[in-house]
Amino acid sequence: MANVAASQSQPSPASAEALTAAQKTTLFQRVRRGFWGYVFVSPWVILYVVFGLYPLLLSFYLTFFNYSFVNPEDQTFVGIGNWLRGLVDPLFWRSLLNIVYNQAVFIFLKNGLGLLVAALIFQVRFGARFFRTIYFMPVVTSVVVLMTIGTYLASPTGPVQELMINSGILGEPVYWQTTTWLPMPVIALINTWKWFGISTVILLAGMYSISPLLYEAASIDGASAWQKFRYITLPQLRPQLLFLLTVDIINGLQMFGEVYTTFDIYGGANNQALTPVLYLYAQAFDRENIGYASSIGLLLAVLIAVLTLIQFRVFSEKES
Amino acid sequence: MMLFGRRTSPATLIAFTLLLIGSVVVLYPFFYMIMNSVKPGREILHSPTALPSQITLSGYEGVFERLNILRLFRNSLVLAISITVLNTSLSALAAYAFAKINFPGRNQLFAFMLATMMIPGVLFLIPTYVLIYNLGWVGQFHALIIPSAVSVYNIFLIRQFMVGIPNEVIESARIDGAGELSIFLRIILPLSRPVLATVAILNFMASWNDFFGPLLYLNRPELWTLQLGLYQFRGSVPGENVQEIWAATAMITIPLVIVYFVLQEQFVKAFANVSLEK
Repeated sequence: MANVAASQSQPSPASAEALTAAQKTTLFQRVRRGFWGYVFVSPWVILYVVFGLYPLLLSFYLTFFNYSFVNPEDQTFVGIGNWLRGLVDPLFWRSLLNIVYNQAVFIFLKNGLGLLVAALIFQVRFGARFFRTIYFMPVVTSVVVLMTIGTYLASPTGPVQELMINSGILGEPVYWQTTTWLPMPVIALINTWKWFGISTVILLAGMYSISPLLYEAASIDGASAWQKFRYITLPQLRPQLLFLLTVDIINGLQMFGEVYTTFDIYGGANNQALTPVLYLYAQAFDRENIGYASSIGLLLAVLIAVLTLIQFRVFSEKES
Repeated sequence: MMLFGRRTSPATLIAFTLLLIGSVVVLYPFFYMIMNSVKPGREILHSPTALPSQITLSGYEGVFERLNILRLFRNSLVLAISITVLNTSLSALAAYAFAKINFPGRNQLFAFMLATMMIPGVLFLIPTYVLIYNLGWVGQFHALIIPSAVSVYNIFLIRQFMVGIPNEVIESARIDGAGELSIFLRIILPLSRPVLATVAILNFMASWNDFFGPLLYLNRPELWTLQLGLYQFRGSVPGENVQEIWAATAMITIPLVIVYFVLQEQFVKAFANVSLEK
């Protein structure tokens, strides 16, 4: 079939013959010709089977057992008991609530601020490069450094609260780490400082790629600066925004270091900073419930997959 | 307003001013870190927002005496360099095969690889720990190095770049009798330098800043990395070693900031996957 099509589109008999000859090569010959291909991908294939596929299967397998490192021989089959346990565990739900709360604040602040700064840098011609360098700099800090600096800055005696008290926003110092509802937004704010530079450069690159003709046409029609932003810039940035939201949700729901370095492994006395991965860690290494910890990982992975799919659905509907 | 050229509008001036104020806010945490690292300990605790009354380097001296920071540096470097070299070269090797060598099953394998990129990492946490534990690797560097020796995302990144290398370059080398390995080493690697820099930066940063991995697998103080060492040090003597904590924090961060300033274009490309060359 392919042969007929090829000879029709390429009337030269020589090339048609060459093609027929190529088709006559057996699978064995093609495998032999591609020998180095197999050699070059083999390190990845081997490592992926051992440290990717096997753990993936193991992660499902483990959820069906009560298993601990202390007594590895003692494996009790519990079926989907561990999954159900997660669904009725108030601590697991608390950790989900916390992380969704945290991410709602974080994603809004990080991308809102990223968009604002990108729009400002887009406006200035002089110094754009300098500002981009400065605003991107916090990205290089590690989570331990980030939380060390962040918690000192936000502490009751730190500069941020002092400034807020002096300007009358706060009446008295707040011990936010022990409150029920403040740890999550404060961590979101600290993380915003570190990450919004990524949104800025991605959105800025998007803005530079929008055709100036669109803005010129809008100017002729008498559009205001805000109208141009709302009806040209924002819709044109949809692919970048979708990318940012997707990556944020996938990474953000797996938060661990931020809370582990700042609270105990149950996220404080009232679990005010318990996240799903922190809870998974506590179940695995404090309670020795490997099976249940795997189930938490599975439930969280399902949630991430569902949220990502919904996001793609919503964005593609807007498109049409 | 010579500085901004003839056509500077008020909007541009406002934007510029806002960006300057924003820069001060963004830089303040770095400034605060460096200020505290040279501030006498009691002043950090009692007047945390004031400028230091005197500059002292005792925090830095304390870091060398009490934290064994040279060993932490060495451990972090050993890990980061091993992972960067291994991962970048093995990922490039696989990427070359996916981009330029025709072998039966290649497209299926590549499609499979793309599909696995979507799986959230949290799913692998516990089973990977169980596997490494059963292999007896807990408490050894290769628990972190071997599983990171090659990665799907990096193969994908490098492959996308290598597809753009013209086939004629490779074909003529093949006709000249060059083997695939020497084509890879002598032709493909030098041509792929930009994407290899990106992948190397991603690898190095991920390993240097990694906290969870060392926390899980490097359970002996001799193996601690900078991040784990700083974390443990922070928790060891609350209050008393505050100046050393800040000195250590600064010492961990400043090398990276310097590297960032030297290679900023590559950093932006690595993390944001965009180029800002207009």
